[in-house]
Amino acid sequence: MASSGITGSRIAGMAASVPAAIVGFEENARLVGDQGARRVSQSTGIMQRRVASPDTTAADLCQDAAERLMTSLAWTKDTIDALIFVTQTPDYPVPATACCLQARLGLGKACAAFDVNLGCSGYVYGLWLAMALAAPGHLRRILVLTGDALSSCISSEDRSVAMLFGDAGTATAIEADASAQAVSFELGTDGSGYEHLIIPAGAARLRGSSETCVVHERENGNYRSDEQLFMDGAEIFAFALREVPQLIKTTLAAHGWDRDVPDAYVLHQANQLLLRHIAKKCGIPADKLPLSLHQYGNTSCASIPITICQCLGGAIRERSLRLMLAGFGAGLSWAAAALTCGPAVVLEPVVYVPASEAAG
Amino acid sequence: MTHSEFLRLIEDLLELEPGSLEGDEDLKGCGWSSLAVVGFMALADEQFGEIVSPAKLARCSTPNDLAALLGDRISVSQAA
Repeated sequence: MASSGITGSRIAGMAASVPAAIVGFEENARLVGDQGARRVSQSTGIMQRRVASPDTTAADLCQDAAERLMTSLAWTKDTIDALIFVTQTPDYPVPATACCLQARLGLGKACAAFDVNLGCSGYVYGLWLAMALAAPGHLRRILVLTGDALSSCISSEDRSVAMLFGDAGTATAIEADASAQAVSFELGTDGSGYEHLIIPAGAARLRGSSETCVVHERENGNYRSDEQLFMDGAEIFAFALREVPQLIKTTLAAHGWDRDVPDAYVLHQANQLLLRHIAKKCGIPADKLPLSLHQYGNTSCASIPITICQCLGGAIRERSLRLMLAGFGAGLSWAAAALTCGPAVVLEPVVYVPASEAAG
Repeated sequence: MTHSEFLRLIEDLLELEPGSLEGDEDLKGCGWSSLAVVGFMALADEQFGEIVSPAKLARCSTPNDLAALLGDRISVSQAA
C-alpha cells in the first residue's frame, strides 16, 4: 500500500446535507415483499435512505454544506485556496464540477479547483490530497466536498443496488496549522476488479446511446440499463473481507497506535453485516463503531463525513478524538487515515432546501 | 466442525427450523438469496478464516456443495 504521513494541516470543520425525501421499508417491500424487506433491513442495517429529486445534484448538496460550514467557521470566500470535489455523479462530463462550484460558492479566482472520480474510498483520498496540499509553505485553506446522488443512476428493479444507496453531500474544511498532529494515510488500488462496481455506459469506452439506455433483464431477475449502476455484491464483500482488516492493521501500525487507542473507527457505511464482521475481526468494540447507515444508507464518498457529523459531532466540537477512517469501494479502491481531530466545527446533518422552495 | 454442526449453521443463516436440512436440498428452495450469499461469506471467514470465492460460491446448489467449498474443515464422516 502507498504510505503517506502528513504534518502541518488539520480538519477545521465538517458539514453534511441530505435531500428531504425518505424512502425505506415500503419501497423495498414493493420490490422483495414484506419478509424480504425485513431481511434486507436486518442484514444491511439500512432502515431508510434519502433520495434527491431529479433536479437536485450531488453538487447542490455539497454547495449547501459548504456554505453553512464557511459561515460557521467565519471563513471569508476569498481565503479559500482550493476546492476539491469528490464524486461519481458530476453535474457534467465537461467541465469539472469543482469549477462550477467555485463560482456558485462565490470563491475568489485565486482558487485551484478540480474533481476526483472516486466512490466509497473517495473521502479519505480527498482528505489526503487536501492535507498534503495544506502542508506548511503551500496552500492555507481548502474545501473538500464529497457527495453522490447515485439514486439517479440506479434501477428500481435491480435488487442488488436498489435498497442500499442514499444521496448526500458533505463539506470538510482543511487548514494549514504548523502545530497540528501528524496524520497517517494508507492507500491502495486493485483495478483488476473494476467491473464489479460499475456504470458501463455514458463515457468514452461506451458512449450513451439509444441502446445503452434500454433496460434489460440481467442476472437473478434484476433489470437495468448499461447507464445504471451494477454491483456484484459478493465480489465487493469478498474484496472488503480481504483488504479492509489488513488496511486497518497497517494504518494503526504506521501511526504507532494499538488497536484500543482510537476513540472511534469510522468505516465506509457499506452494510451493517460487513461492518460488524470487520469490527469483530479487528477487535473493535461496538461502541467504537459509529453507524449512520440506519438513517442514510450507503452514501458513497459522503458516508464517512456524514457519520462523523451524525454520531461524533458533539464530542469533536468539545475536544479532540483519535479517529481511524477507512473507505473502500469502486475501483477497486481503498484508503485509511489515522488522525486526531478536534476541537472543530462539526455541524449536524441538515435537510437541503432548494433555493426555489426556500424563496416560496 | 462436523457436517451436522455445519448444517445447523446454514439453517440458522437461512432462518430454517433446526434439523430441517440433510445436505442435498436445493438451496434456492430454502431461501438462498444474495443476502444469504454474503451471510455465508461472513460465516466462512469467521468460523474457518476462509474468504470464499464468489465464483465458486455461485456454482453451489446444495448445502453439501457449500461444505465441500470448505474442504476438510467439515468432517465428511458425519455426513451420513
